[in-house]
Amino acid sequence: MGRVIGKRLFSIMALCAMVGLLLLPIVVAIPSLASGEEAIADGAKKEGDKVEKGRDVYYKTEGVVVGAPAPKTTDGPKDYPRYNFESRVLLWFANQQHLYYGSFVLAVPIFCMIIEFMGVVTKDKALAKRYDQLAYDFIKISLTAYSLTAVLGGILIFTFLTLYPAFFSYLSSVFRPVMHIYALMFVAESGTLYIYYYGWDKMKEGFLKWIHLSMSVILNIIGTLLMFLANSWIGFMMSPAGVDEQGRYLGNIWHVIHTALWNPLNLHRILGNMAFGGGVVAAYAAYKFLAAKTDEDRAHYDWMGYIAMALGVAFLIPLPFAGYWLMREVYAYRQQMGITLMGGLLAWLFIIQATMIGILFLSTNYYLWQAMGRMRGAEKYQRYIKYLVFLLACGYMVFITPHTMVMTPAELKAMGGQQHPVLGNYGVMSAKNGGINVIITTTVLSFVWYMRGNKVSTVSWAKFGNIFMGVFFTCAYINIIGLAIYGYYIPANVRVGLSVPQVTTTLSCLFFMFALNSMMMKGAKQMGPIEWGKISARSQYALIMLATAFTWMMGLMGYIRSSVRLFWHVNEIMRDNSPWAYTHTVGFAANMISANVLFFWISILFVFWLGSLAAKKAPVEAKAAVPGSVPQPAGSH
Amino acid sequence: MKALMSLGALVGVLGLLLLGGMIFDVVPSNTVRLIEGYMPMQMLAEVACYVLGFAGLSYMLNAMGMGIPRFWQGIGFWVFLMMYLKFRVYPPIPFSVRAMYGTVALVTVFMWVSASEEDWKKFKQPIMNVLDAQTGMNRMLRYMYLVLLPILIGGFSFNAMMPKSEEPIELRTVHPAPPASTKVQGKTYVLQTSQSPYRVNPEGKYDQEYSNANIVEQGMGRLMKPNANPWDEKNQGYLKYVREGGEIFFQNCHFCHGDNLNGRGLHAFAFNPIPANFTDPGTIAQLQETFIFWRVAKGGIGLPNEGFPWASVMPPWEQHLTVDEIWKVILFEYWHTGYYPRTWD
Repeated sequence: MGRVIGKRLFSIMALCAMVGLLLLPIVVAIPSLASGEEAIADGAKKEGDKVEKGRDVYYKTEGVVVGAPAPKTTDGPKDYPRYNFESRVLLWFANQQHLYYGSFVLAVPIFCMIIEFMGVVTKDKALAKRYDQLAYDFIKISLTAYSLTAVLGGILIFTFLTLYPAFFSYLSSVFRPVMHIYALMFVAESGTLYIYYYGWDKMKEGFLKWIHLSMSVILNIIGTLLMFLANSWIGFMMSPAGVDEQGRYLGNIWHVIHTALWNPLNLHRILGNMAFGGGVVAAYAAYKFLAAKTDEDRAHYDWMGYIAMALGVAFLIPLPFAGYWLMREVYAYRQQMGITLMGGLLAWLFIIQATMIGILFLSTNYYLWQAMGRMRGAEKYQRYIKYLVFLLACGYMVFITPHTMVMTPAELKAMGGQQHPVLGNYGVMSAKNGGINVIITTTVLSFVWYMRGNKVSTVSWAKFGNIFMGVFFTCAYINIIGLAIYGYYIPANVRVGLSVPQVTTTLSCLFFMFALNSMMMKGAKQMGPIEWGKISARSQYALIMLATAFTWMMGLMGYIRSSVRLFWHVNEIMRDNSPWAYTHTVGFAANMISANVLFFWISILFVFWLGSLAAKKAPVEAKAAVPGSVPQPAGSH
Repeated sequence: MKALMSLGALVGVLGLLLLGGMIFDVVPSNTVRLIEGYMPMQMLAEVACYVLGFAGLSYMLNAMGMGIPRFWQGIGFWVFLMMYLKFRVYPPIPFSVRAMYGTVALVTVFMWVSASEEDWKKFKQPIMNVLDAQTGMNRMLRYMYLVLLPILIGGFSFNAMMPKSEEPIELRTVHPAPPASTKVQGKTYVLQTSQSPYRVNPEGKYDQEYSNANIVEQGMGRLMKPNANPWDEKNQGYLKYVREGGEIFFQNCHFCHGDNLNGRGLHAFAFNPIPANFTDPGTIAQLQETFIFWRVAKGGIGLPNEGFPWASVMPPWEQHLTVDEIWKVILFEYWHTGYYPRTWD
């Protein structure tokens, strides 16, 4: 009894410690913010009437100038010290690796939270244990990756300080009021992560488990806030606010953080991190599946891959819409920036991006079709897969058709102009919105088929339900394609608005059809269990493809976002006067991204290997608990 | 079902015959015309008809016990698509785009033939047969591939490495990002906020909705409003300015951009690339009116760095026309093509 109370006390104390860690940066920040304001006021008093005021470049509000102007750098060892190598490439590498690991360690605890929650609410004890073990495995991997993230963060700062001292000094002077909060957030994140990890065994059941779950919520709040702060830096570099035209800080740190692109970036990054994290874990499971020696291991890693893929794709589906919002805000902020991205200098990179997005969805669909192979009864859908392939192929081809085609002058002449009269129409936004929505809707359809693969509905209205679903999907396709065509006949600003009903149609398919399908499959007759582990090796390669495409696309989009500033360190405020203030060729950028992707995968394999060393020593309690049992993912069956 | 499949089979056979005729130049590729205004959807619909036709054909052949092996179905469909893109669609599609489509088609054909274990087994059976070489025929094929494949790869490599006299491919930025502002005839125009002074309603106020309603119906070439004829001399305001813009256009621009504004003017084919086709939804319909203003005023010579290789002979019209004339001619271009200038609100 006393031991239980002791454990409870320990758990509550641990939770309080976490809350304390969460509040620590804020508490520490309040006096410094206040003293900052006092200092401004004192300064103003001392200077009497000589207070200099400036106008915020974005918010257009007036404020007291408290910062130095952005330095006007010159190419030389003072502002741009260098090794005998392109500094920008070094920084690019350091930044990208830090971002990969940062994204991974921020995403994995969110996964853990979801999976641990699934374990807590699942009634099947064996399955609950499996979920718990899975979440624990995830956090273990994340712990090793966390150290590497911190090391890479250090390397990044040193790279900044060594190669771009003037720029880094300016940026840190503007963000001075929150710099230490940022550092303290790291402390809080580390603290909570360790408490969460080491408290796992001590808080296994009942009330204590709920406390442990609450800890994961706090851990994720801290992680998300940390990411928001990091995002404010890049938001400021792209769309500065809180400073005047000379780049002088005007005393309002919220304006500096809350720039025009901050919120779209935040949303886009959260979803992106989750999709990326899902991809990496799915690839890990795929690798383990392919290397597995026993049926039991194959079943476990097949299941793990499925869960990770499902979570990743759940966040991938809304990602294009979040990206659309971001682009809309970019256009609203600076039309010039938007055109450079989507129609000008960087437009070809967007074609590559579209190609990668298509690969993600194609891989997902392919995995699901393969996964249907391990269900008895799913054969009835196999013969229709060719039509899904056709829809996906059409959507994909439209989605990747470039507006500006690469061609020889002879081809240009034969075509009779820069725009192809047939395919040129696929190169604009109206068609592309139609293309991607067809792809996503088809992915939803594949999911629906997968979810009902081995089941036969027993509800009395099953026939009506099937017809309704068929009609719903047909109408959805007609609506999406119809609106894409209609987009050519209306003004551009109205056309932009058409994306809303298109997205709504796609999301309606997702939510209504999933809900309806679940209702129809309640108490359904099972044709046979899911035979975990009996999936083709091709499906696992699809998962690896999915993860590689995620990684490559993250590298690409990061590069696009960064290079849209062209020759500015901070857009229209601080000019980049280094010799590398030009945009790389598409080929060079692609090679650089590939090198980053390769390095990340090699290094993460090392992390996985370290994780497997620890796993060998750990007792295989969870596996032994359910001999020969077949796990059933709660989300799908 | 059987009747439907028979119909599908008939469509498939007829389609294949038609495409075969186009490939061997017996039937011109425009025998079945790509209808202007509907071409993109027509192309997709045609391919969809072929797919349904092939499904019907496959069904019928299976019923007759003459089913085509999955291996040849996959390869056959990919070859069909390549042939369709090369010989059916006109004007010719640049190789880079056909290569992209070809790769996508290859991937999706693979997805189709390997979607289920049974299909995948069927697909790879002929390959495995040749590799196993249990029969004399397969053994012969295996030796043949052993010789042919390296020659083929060598041939491709040689072709890729061989110096060619063709002009190199160009990755031209057709719509380079405009500057934030542009100075024309001494006055600075902020591109994001400037407006055409002539896009006005009868009260003389800037009104895009009013002017949008008074244009020519896109694709049909008729007036959207019966009495909105700018050539009627009695018309005032917006329509009068369109008329004046039209006069400027036919005095200065139509020699290159054509009297239908489709980029096929008298001198058009002296240039490479030929002048912009304003009737294409990818040109002025995608751009803000101020973007056109900047491009007309500054011409090809005023293109920014990212517009490299600056393949444009457009004169800097600020040296020949007044600012008012430039705005009016832009007004006419939108009126005539039936497009609306892009706005961001």
